Parts: sequence; structure tokens; C-alpha cells
Amino acid sequence: MQTVEPVLACAPLPNVKEQGRFSPYTNNGGTVIAVAGKDFCVIAGDTRMSEGYSITSRNVSKVIQLTSKCVLASSGMQADIATLHKLLLIRLEQYKHQNGREMSTTSIAQLLGNTLYGKRFFPYYTFNVLGGVDDKGVGCAYSYDAVGSFERTPYSSSGTGQQLVQPLLDNQVAKKHQPNVLKVDVSAKEVEEFVRDAMTSAGERDIYTGDHVEVKTVTANGVVHQRFDLKFD
Amino acid sequence: MEAPIASCIPKGGFNFDLVSRNEYIQQAGTKVPKTKKTGTTIVGIVCKDAVVLGADTRATSGSLVCDKNCEKIHYIAPNIYCCGAGTSADTENTTGLVSSQLELHRLNTARQSRVATALTLLRQYLFKYQGHVSAALILGGVDITGPSLYTVYPHGSTDGLPFVTMGSGSLAAMSIFEAEYKPNLSIEEGIKLVHKAISAGIFNDLGSGSNVDITVITKDKVDVLRNYEKPNGRPYTRQYNFPRGTTTVMETKTTPVRQRVDVIESGVEAMEI
Amino acid sequence: MYATKSEYDRGVNTFSPEGRLFQVEYAIEAIKLGSTALGIKTSEGVILAVEKRVSSTLLESSSIEKIMEIDSHIGASMSGLIADARTMIEHGRVEAQNHRFNYDEPMKVEACTQALCDLALRFGEDRKKGEREEQMSRPFGVALLVAGVDETGPLLYHTDPSGTFVAFEAKAIGAASEGAQQTLIEKYTKSMTLSEAETLAVSVLKQVMEEQLTATNIEVASAEVATGKFTIYGKEKVESIIARV
Repeated sequence: MQTVEPVLACAPLPNVKEQGRFSPYTNNGGTVIAVAGKDFCVIAGDTRMSEGYSITSRNVSKVIQLTSKCVLASSGMQADIATLHKLLLIRLEQYKHQNGREMSTTSIAQLLGNTLYGKRFFPYYTFNVLGGVDDKGVGCAYSYDAVGSFERTPYSSSGTGQQLVQPLLDNQVAKKHQPNVLKVDVSAKEVEEFVRDAMTSAGERDIYTGDHVEVKTVTANGVVHQRFDLKFD
Repeated sequence: MEAPIASCIPKGGFNFDLVSRNEYIQQAGTKVPKTKKTGTTIVGIVCKDAVVLGADTRATSGSLVCDKNCEKIHYIAPNIYCCGAGTSADTENTTGLVSSQLELHRLNTARQSRVATALTLLRQYLFKYQGHVSAALILGGVDITGPSLYTVYPHGSTDGLPFVTMGSGSLAAMSIFEAEYKPNLSIEEGIKLVHKAISAGIFNDLGSGSNVDITVITKDKVDVLRNYEKPNGRPYTRQYNFPRGTTTVMETKTTPVRQRVDVIESGVEAMEI
Repeated sequence: MYATKSEYDRGVNTFSPEGRLFQVEYAIEAIKLGSTALGIKTSEGVILAVEKRVSSTLLESSSIEKIMEIDSHIGASMSGLIADARTMIEHGRVEAQNHRFNYDEPMKVEACTQALCDLALRFGEDRKKGEREEQMSRPFGVALLVAGVDETGPLLYHTDPSGTFVAFEAKAIGAASEGAQQTLIEKYTKSMTLSEAETLAVSVLKQVMEEQLTATNIEVASAEVATGKFTIYGKEKVESIIARV
């Protein structure tokens, strides 16, 4: 299977005279993580927004609560993230009026996939992780590519710090390369601490990850929000 | 006749043997290796009878921080130091080369090195390589002519100025200098100003980060204030415990020592007191 | 008849001074000409039953279809212009499939009924230039009994040509609806089992039908809570119910 990353810079082809071209995409950086537990999910994202070597804001949220049981975190281009989040909130409100209840997390996962694929040939430059609890109260996380390929996974990360954070998740959540260690159910608090540490680690080595982290913990009873500082350099 | 192997031994200086091969394989699609850059904020100011140099300590490769506490203020001579921005290998080797040349020059002349001499060596060397040696430098020192401060650009052009900044954080740092620099600052005031300029780079430029290094050069003394401030410690840590035996043993092979060496048995003798 | 009436029942979208849309009211009248259909809701599920008018001995009764599936968990019986019902059912099927595609879940029965009714008032005379869908020139002449099961349980809705829908515990529509409804009011209890509802539905049909009731001139279907499925009964199943009546 192949996941698609949209071509960003419109680099001139070799031996072709350089010419001005419409370049609608930019990456504003940042890292997002979702880790699902037995009956909860922890979703986190940093709040730095950058352009090249400049910090354009230290306090832009990448994490949005969609329903009482579902949270979405997106990295990539801030303008596309904001548009996508706004569109989803509208679709969720319409759904609520038509169906008399909140959309379930599994349905939101499908809706987001369709919404992204709807722009297959001019994609939203967003890398999403979706987390929450499903109709049975089981914690779930979904990972996406930019054009709507998606999959339910126990944990997921995206963004400029993904390369740094994913091996940590593989080792600590999936217990990869720890053959004698049994996978046991961990508490939401333990996962929150781990996710905070993972984001801190990304902030140490990825120049686009920093300033603050927003951590949202979803359970059947609702969403709890926490906020921590990262480094500001 | 010379043995054929001798032609393979590098003689010193740059070796251009592989240039045409590399151009060819690049055209065929091979990626050029990424170099380590010191994204960098470096600054220098002239104070009353002193030069104060400053630098951040972040080294990057693309968006990855590959050194969180590297040294960017290089030694040139006992009375001269040089801040480097650009490709780390180029700044380190260029300053090292000039430092060696000046050391030899001092041995031959028995005189203190002059900043102008170091400057000439740097600009001639960089000009020769037409900007391919990516070293953007701030050269500062105090010699017989008093304190002096220069910038050297990768192509070999130079500037002598009372306050200078370089690197990706140069704009952030220069904004501080343009607002607050005055001639004849005391050393304390100078350190304070340099610290503020480097901090501006550390916090506002993503290419710069971690700690503040400062070096103060006066007529009689050099103060290398390595890690003058460390404002970016890790804000949170967590303990990870891996039980003994977590790492998989793929293969075990034991070779008795006796197979490799002759062990001579000797009786234990009591130590003589 | 009012003297003014003839002036206001021409345009389908023109209100009379009394505030009535005559064409819609006439459409509702058309249902009273239709064959009788009824639905009964119990805690175990919903039963739909309809009579088929087999007007000729040479007519193949299996070709008359008066109960249709909308999605695996929703179905509807109809009375009135059956061709109009087909348009509505097709719309409902598309909406139900779109819902599955968009949200990876079955559509709720109420939302589906609303979708069916959304179509009911989409009639008018002039078609705007460049409009994608062809306008309908008159109201639908059909009423539906929508039966289904979803996460909220079993549900029975009645829709009419005005686009109104109302939930019922038991409802009869069509030519003999008045008598049938009266019987339902008398016989219905909340504690009925699904099998009791089957018996009641068929016995009411038997009571109101002019012809002799057989397994070929009625249709029966259920939306069952236990399976979550809408099923149109086969001949054997219908015969077994008739045997109980």
C-alpha cells in the first residue's frame, strides 16, 4: 500500500527555464500524537506555527474537540487545517440536526476520510490523527494521509516530529523489540505522562515543534484538557 | 620509481578527483549528502578597550537539531577569536587552518598576531574557493592597534564595523544592536547587550537555539564564558525501566582465552614488604 | 363546494384564501382509493401488511409489489399511486446508501423518513433554467408506512403527500383505513408479541378485504429487533399466519 504526500514546492524541472508558478502550499510544522487505551484516548499537539526559520505564532491550536467523544489533531498547513476543522464542525452540526444525536467517532473517521478524498486532486495539506472512544466505549485512534487513506490503529503520530516520535510509540506502546514484556492495560494518567514526554522529546530535536503542548484525554464521560510548556528556542 | 600506492595518499589541501564523477551520479539521481549547518546567531561588538563575541549553541541538519551545545566561538590566536556560521566543517577547518598559520607566524616573528593578518588570511582563503567554502565569520581581537572587529562573508568580502551579527538569526540580533548599541560601552554593559542579542536569535530564529556562549577579549586577558546562560533545559522527563534481558540475544559464541594466547601458570608469590 | 374553489385548485402552489393547498388535499384523497395497508409496532419489532388487488384471474399477483425494502433495516408499505411510491423509495434508498458511505453506519429510521418527506413537496410548475433535477409537476398521490429498527428500537412512521410524517403504534391507510384503524384501536395492546401482531394485522386485512384472503393477495413484512433486519415474508410464512387467523 502506498500513502500519498502531496508535492510541495513546485521545483523547476532540470533544464527547464525557471518561471513563476502558483505555489499554494506551505508547511507550518508541528507534531501531533494520539494513543488509544482500553476505554480512553489521549490526543496531543504542540502550539507552534512556523514558516521557514521564523516562528509565526507560539499559540495556535492544532487540536480540536469535535464531539464529547472525539478529538482531532492536525499538522501541516495552518490555513488548510483551520478550513478543514471549520468544515467538519459544520458537517457535525448538520448531522446532529438530521439524526438527533452526536456523530459517533467511527462515523467521524469515515466522514474525514471522505472529506479528504473529495479533494484528491487539490488536497488539504493536512496530516491528521483522530482519537476518541467508539460507541462501545472502547478507546480508538485513526491515522490518515493527506488524501483520505485511513486506518484504525492503537496509536498514531503525524507532522514534523513524526520521525522522532513514532519509534518511541512503537517501543513504549506496542512494546516492539521488547520480546519478554507483556502488554498490559495502562491508565490514562500513564499515557498522558508518556505522551507529554514524547512531545518534549520532539521539542528537543525538531526545530518546528515547541512552545506549548495541548493534551486532551477522551473517555466516555467527556474530554479533559491539559496544557504544558515546551522549550521556546 | 615511486610505488603506485603513493599516488593514493592524500597530500593535503582539497582533493577534486571525484568532482566529475559526483556530477555525473547526481545527474543520474543520487542525492547529495546533507551537511551539518550551524543555523546560528553570532554577534560581536566593540566596547571600551575590548571586543565581546557571542554565539548560540545549536547545530542543525535540515529541521533536525544535531548538536544542542556546540561551540561556535573558535580560537584563532591568544588575542583573537572568531565566531563561525554556515557549514560547520567549513567554519571549523577554516578557523583551524588560519589559527595554525598564525601560530607558525608567531614562532617565526616572536610577535603578537594582528587581527588584520588573520583577516587577510581568511578572506584570501575564502575568495580562492569562490563561496564554495560556506563560512560566514565574525573575527574579533585586541592587538597593538587596539580592539578590532570584522565580518567575513563566504565569498571573501570583509567589513570592519563596531557591531556586527551573522547567521540565520542575524536580523533578530541586529534589531537589538540597532536599538541599543552605543560606542564605549563598559565590558559589563557589552556582555549584557551581546547576551540580549543572542537571546533574541535563540528565541526568534528556529535555526538558533539552546545556550549563550560569550567570549570577552581585552588587551591583557581573554574570558571564555562558555555556556554563559542555559535558558533551554529539558522541561519534563520521565523514567523508563527496561527489565534485565529485554534486548534479544541473537547469537552466543564463546572463545576460551587459551585458544588465543599461551597462559603460563605460576605459583602465587607473597608480596615482599 | 365553494364558488371560488375552482380558481385556486389549478396552480399546485397557490394557497386558497382560506389557506389551503387544494392539490395537496386532493392528493391525500387519492390515497383513500388505494388498497388497504397497515402497520403494527410491538416491542419485538414492526409488522407491515397490505392487500393486493388481483383484478384478473390472469394477473400474476407476484408482480404487484406493495412492500419495498429501503435499506436492510428499513422498509415501507404503500397505498395510492404505486408509481409515485417507487420514486420516493428510490430516493430513500439513495439517501440510506449515502448515509452508509458517508458515516459508516446505518441511517436512523426517523432521518430516512424525513428524507422521503423532503421529496414530497418538491413540486411546482416552472423549472428554473439550468436546474439539475427535473421538477415534479404535481404532488405525490401516495402514503407510506415506514417500518424499521435502529439503535432507538422499533419504529413505525406514516407519511402523506403533504410531506408530514407522524409516528404510530398502529396505523392503517387506504380504502378501508377507517374501519381497519377502528379495529386496531380496539385490539392493539402495547404488550403484544410480534407473532400476535402478525395475526392481528392479517385478521384486520381479512375483515376489510372484499375478496377471499389468500397467501397471494396479501403481502406481509417485518422489521425485527432481534435481527435488526427488515424482511418481506415468503409464501409459506404468510400461509402459516393465515392459518392462525
